[in-house]
Amino acid sequence: MEVHQLIANFAPGDAMGQAAVNLQALLRRLGHFGELYAGEVAPGFGSLVKPAAQLHPTRDALVLYHHGIASEWAGRLLHFDCRRGVVFHNVTPARFYAGTRLEEALRSGRSQLTALAEGMSLSIGVSALNAIELREAGHRNVQLVPLFVEPHRFDPEQIDLVMKRELKVGAPLVLSVSRVVPHKRVEDLLSLHAELLRIRPTARLVVIGGYAAGQRAFRQLAARAEELGRVDFLGKVSHGELVAAYRGADVYVSMSEHEGFGVPLVEAMAADLPVLAFGAASVPWTMGGTGIVFDTKHFAALAELVVAVTEDDGIRRDLIEGQQRRLAELSAGASEAALAQALATLPPSKEVRRAPRAKQQVRKTPRVAIVVQRFGPQITGGAEAHARQLALKLSPHADLTILTTCAEDHLTWANTLPEGIEDDGPLTVHRFATEAPRQMRGFNRLSDAVLGHGNDRVTEEHWLAEQGPRVPDLLAYLASNRAQYDAFIFFTYLYTPTAWGVPLVADKALVVPTAHDEPPFRFDVFSDVFERPRALLCNSPEEQQLIQQRHPQAVRTRIVGVGVEPPRTLDPKGFAQKHGIRGPYLLYVGRQEAGKGLKELLKHHRALVNDFHDAPTLVLAGGGTLELEGERVRTLGRISEEDKWNGLAGALAAVAPSRFESLSLLALEAFAVGTPLLANADSSVLAGHVERSGAGATWHSTSSYLEAVRIVGEGSFREQALKYSRAFRWPKVVAAFRAEIARIQRDHAS
Amino acid sequence: MKLLGKDISASQLLQQISQRLAARGLEAPDEGPIRMDGAEPRVDPLAFNLDALAEHSDPTRALPLETHRGGVTGRAVVLAKWAFRKSCQIFINEALGRQQVFNGHVRDSYAQLSAEVKRLRSRVEELEAPAPAPRPVSPPKSKRPARKG
Repeated sequence: MEVHQLIANFAPGDAMGQAAVNLQALLRRLGHFGELYAGEVAPGFGSLVKPAAQLHPTRDALVLYHHGIASEWAGRLLHFDCRRGVVFHNVTPARFYAGTRLEEALRSGRSQLTALAEGMSLSIGVSALNAIELREAGHRNVQLVPLFVEPHRFDPEQIDLVMKRELKVGAPLVLSVSRVVPHKRVEDLLSLHAELLRIRPTARLVVIGGYAAGQRAFRQLAARAEELGRVDFLGKVSHGELVAAYRGADVYVSMSEHEGFGVPLVEAMAADLPVLAFGAASVPWTMGGTGIVFDTKHFAALAELVVAVTEDDGIRRDLIEGQQRRLAELSAGASEAALAQALATLPPSKEVRRAPRAKQQVRKTPRVAIVVQRFGPQITGGAEAHARQLALKLSPHADLTILTTCAEDHLTWANTLPEGIEDDGPLTVHRFATEAPRQMRGFNRLSDAVLGHGNDRVTEEHWLAEQGPRVPDLLAYLASNRAQYDAFIFFTYLYTPTAWGVPLVADKALVVPTAHDEPPFRFDVFSDVFERPRALLCNSPEEQQLIQQRHPQAVRTRIVGVGVEPPRTLDPKGFAQKHGIRGPYLLYVGRQEAGKGLKELLKHHRALVNDFHDAPTLVLAGGGTLELEGERVRTLGRISEEDKWNGLAGALAAVAPSRFESLSLLALEAFAVGTPLLANADSSVLAGHVERSGAGATWHSTSSYLEAVRIVGEGSFREQALKYSRAFRWPKVVAAFRAEIARIQRDHAS
Repeated sequence: MKLLGKDISASQLLQQISQRLAARGLEAPDEGPIRMDGAEPRVDPLAFNLDALAEHSDPTRALPLETHRGGVTGRAVVLAKWAFRKSCQIFINEALGRQQVFNGHVRDSYAQLSAEVKRLRSRVEELEAPAPAPRPVSPPKSKRPARKG
């Protein structure tokens, strides 16, 4: 079933948008494809959320509308000819906003909640109070699916260090996270702060959340804060700064008089911060008996309470332990189970009613889909070539379909190949069009902003959407054709077909992650790729170790690698003659891009040429955008497969300068023709190949490059290289994949 | 004042707090009943929409003066808005005269339509209500045949 979500406005940092993105992750885990739509989308977020005007659901789809304050989409939802549901986040009582423009919109939101009742197949309350209010408003199929917080996003490693330093001044540090609006009662926080200053003059109050500086109410609050001293309104902050505030504070206090759920309360729990909260609306339920909930705002007493909680280690420890229990109850897993239960209450769609039940039997020739971001004989990427080689070797043993995009260029994902089904030798290739080309300049700016530090899920999902390739039709195909295949083999963790596709078919998914230690690998948004499929089929022990370190919850891993088959006859002299290469040479074959370490390689090679008159020529083959020139440097552009093998056979060594490798086909191909490897030591995978084979040398600086070239020039590595390459044979690889596929078949048949 | 929390001894903590307050010459908080807000009441959309249309049918009536801008700029914006309203109300009335008439028709049409929706709903309820079970009919009292003779 397709489950789309609709919200009135989408903006980063907005609780409702965050809830929709979280819910989308849960829906994928339950096998439902769906997209996010919003009446208004914040600039730059069009890749993650589409304009609501583009929402045209099929009759069997479910549209979940997130409701709070009045929105025109509440009324328009009722006109969609599909199954409809509402996720109710609650509406702040209008009494807090009497006499303002907001009053009307809040009352209208309540009225719309009642008006929606008759047209909903499913009504979800994100807290117990919201579920009660849905029933009061006349909704019939009311289900409770709580919001959730991902605790690891509040781990100490996510802290912004600058903010951490800034918050070291002042104790006890009282934190509150909320917009500065009337019902949050920031004036009560100030009253508490005034009392606290009487008994602890170094106390500090930090309020995080947006505010309208021009509003009279805020000006009054700011003036009072100024008068008291030691109060900071920090406004909106980054995720790292938020975690620093939670981790740096001594106690979290909420004076809010209305909360539909109270996400910051749970975030504080995740950051091991004791919570004191006024028991308004959903707060007692969200706290679940943990923390301290109070019913009267006696500020002098509350100040004493803050002191007790911050200075009595016993009380503090007990509160934090209790809050951890509640955190587990409000986990993603618990929400996923509740959502599954809620969706199960929907009557089956017409499509499901019509479809005959498929018999569970083990097919003799398994039907397998390989999902990869690009595919074709002309595609030079390592993972893509790996996927194609595997497909060709596996094709005699499986009914194979390749699910891929129409793109050839991995930078733009432009649709240059025809959409639809085509044959590639024994393979059936099903191509899906990418939604939009990637704008590299904007993407690089976004990457600079988000890589290398902690983020919330929305930020990471946004980065992933921009990374692409966005192929919603491919994802919809996966979700709706899950039963037609025995297994799905996904290539490369880094792109959306894998990151968003694996959860849809996780119980039949095998992933070839081709992971290496690069900044996006640390994004939690990829955890489903490593923690949900049936198995991870790694290329090297280093990759396996890296995954297990980063994802202790990772599923079963197995080192499978690839097979390498050199041609029977090789003509190294012919290669040298054809390209006019005289004397010994080092050969690099691959994309000539910034991330491949070629500029550093060139720098080292220049030093080599300066110091040694008989330095070998550096030959660079492959397409790319970099301009690589220098003395004794030859660039050949793209070369044929035949040329590649001949070139490797005649080379002094193959050169692998990239820091980011999960396997390096080039290294294995070089070994297969008896040529040693000259590798960047910063890549643990390459260093592992050199160490295990004993055929080559590594460098990490110019001087060590000179030494490494000397080693490969003087040594004899042919036998070691050939011996090592014997471990990489296709029959072994194919047997491993067949065993994994058979395992999935057996489990589904039983 | 009540403190709720499974992981604390609420009465002991309150006692400690009361003692500290007493030491400072302050009164301890009252031990009143727990006051927690319940669910908000349902709002009937037909009535609400009609009220809202009536309330806002006059477009020449201004909304409250507001600005999100702070400092001097914010004050200047509010002042400019106020001055505009004061000095140009007569032109606002003129420009929005037809809109006012149109809004009045929308309001009145909605009032008639919503009344019709209410009537139809109650009719549907009547028709969907289960029919009352037929009353058991008691057999007619048999007249004893008159004895002959």
